[in-house]
Amino acid sequence: MITLVRSELYRMATIRSSWVSISLFGAVAAAFGMLDAYWWALFVGIGAFGISVLTVAQHYQHRTIALLYLARPRRLSVLIAQVITTVAVAWCFAAVTGIAVVIKGGDRPYLHTLIVVPVMAAFGTAAAAIVRRSSWLFFGFAAWFVFVEGLAGQLKWPLPISSYLNAAGGDAFGLEVFVGWAVVALAVAVLTLARDLTAD
Amino acid sequence: MIEAVELTKAYRTVRAVDGLSFTAQPGRVSGFLGLNGSGKTTTLRMLLGLTRPTSGVALINGKPFGALTHPSRQVGAVLEQGISHPGQSGRAHLIAQAMLAGASRARVDLLLEQVGLTDAATHRTGDYSLGMRQRLAVATALLGEPPVLILDEPANGLDPEGIAWLRQLLRDHAQAGGTVLISSHLLAELAHLIDDVVIIAKGQVRRATPLAELYGTAAQRLRVRGRDPQRLWRAFESAGGKVTTDDQALEVVGLSAEAAGEIAFAAGVPLYELTIDTPNLERIFLDLAAG
Repeated sequence: MITLVRSELYRMATIRSSWVSISLFGAVAAAFGMLDAYWWALFVGIGAFGISVLTVAQHYQHRTIALLYLARPRRLSVLIAQVITTVAVAWCFAAVTGIAVVIKGGDRPYLHTLIVVPVMAAFGTAAAAIVRRSSWLFFGFAAWFVFVEGLAGQLKWPLPISSYLNAAGGDAFGLEVFVGWAVVALAVAVLTLARDLTAD
Repeated sequence: MIEAVELTKAYRTVRAVDGLSFTAQPGRVSGFLGLNGSGKTTTLRMLLGLTRPTSGVALINGKPFGALTHPSRQVGAVLEQGISHPGQSGRAHLIAQAMLAGASRARVDLLLEQVGLTDAATHRTGDYSLGMRQRLAVATALLGEPPVLILDEPANGLDPEGIAWLRQLLRDHAQAGGTVLISSHLLAELAHLIDDVVIIAKGQVRRATPLAELYGTAAQRLRVRGRDPQRLWRAFESAGGKVTTDDQALEVVGLSAEAAGEIAFAAGVPLYELTIDTPNLERIFLDLAAG
């Protein structure tokens, strides 16, 4: 397991586009953190989702998932390692980009966000393992957030992103609901892990 | 050893692989041949645990791929056109895979040198040519020093020097007791490399046999050109030969060269050409695959 996590971290670190994207998005999140803790939490959540999706879905996009499964045929171990990797990276991402929030006195939203960000990373990893295509997930995430949770639900329905934002704001029930969503997503990911890998 | 036992893969109404059984023995290079869409890649992916069989078993050293301990040290595979992230350098790609295979960085550098990628090791694999990606894929397969190699079209994109290098590498691997299963459409090249051949068509095995045996059973064909082809044709047929033509010369099966020469002499037809068309893998393959 540790070897798998090391390999995934090494892979992330040696793909320039991965760390450039993380750095740029981190700079944006940190800038929003100087303005408002709520916006920072939102951007960190999107960042955690993006890190997870890119980490997992790129394996399917470039078919390197086949190499991963050839080395580690037990697919559940691979998924668990990917969850650990994305959780670790997303948490560090949140911790570093939120320094401005702490400096501005937003200790509590900072801590609440650090608690819920790993859940978002696990949720994103599971979603990517299910869908396997990053473009579908990013468009789907944006459309879902704007039309379903934003316009229709006014961010009040107990749906994933609304629950994440509530949890980041310190709402314990929001955290419970979001953990529930992440568990459901992970369960579906585990159930669909055995699907064939197509050659194209 | 690689074993496929009644391996079947069905997609709704289509049976991509249909009750396929064959073995690839240690110490031998086995060629896996079939036309496009015949089920080659699906079979190889089932052997490697990437695709689930509908029925039947795929075994490597007596176990399904998923049950192997340290699979990278038992099986090396080259799939598709060389798999790697285009934004990662060749060396970084190999190091990430070496971590999983339990191989050292010294082995990575050795393999980079062996496959001729030392100078390009720090370049992004997205900038590699197809041949370079194939060399990287071969290096990836060899990381764990596995005794079993499964290679799907590994010679694609390789230049003649690369093909000769790959041929020697695989021959040496088999000579050292390793098992090699290779699919390729470069049949002339494959004929110089393989010991055994498995020919499939429409998902079923048409022939699984040592190559020498395949050549032995293939009918010897004569190529005959003379002044009066019509008369020669009738003379050969009446002597029991089976005659066809490619519009340039007669192709005769069922007669020896000596008999054909005597028949032409007796018929009073001067010959301009009488050659034995030795059986070649491509012709046998096309006959069996089309059959």
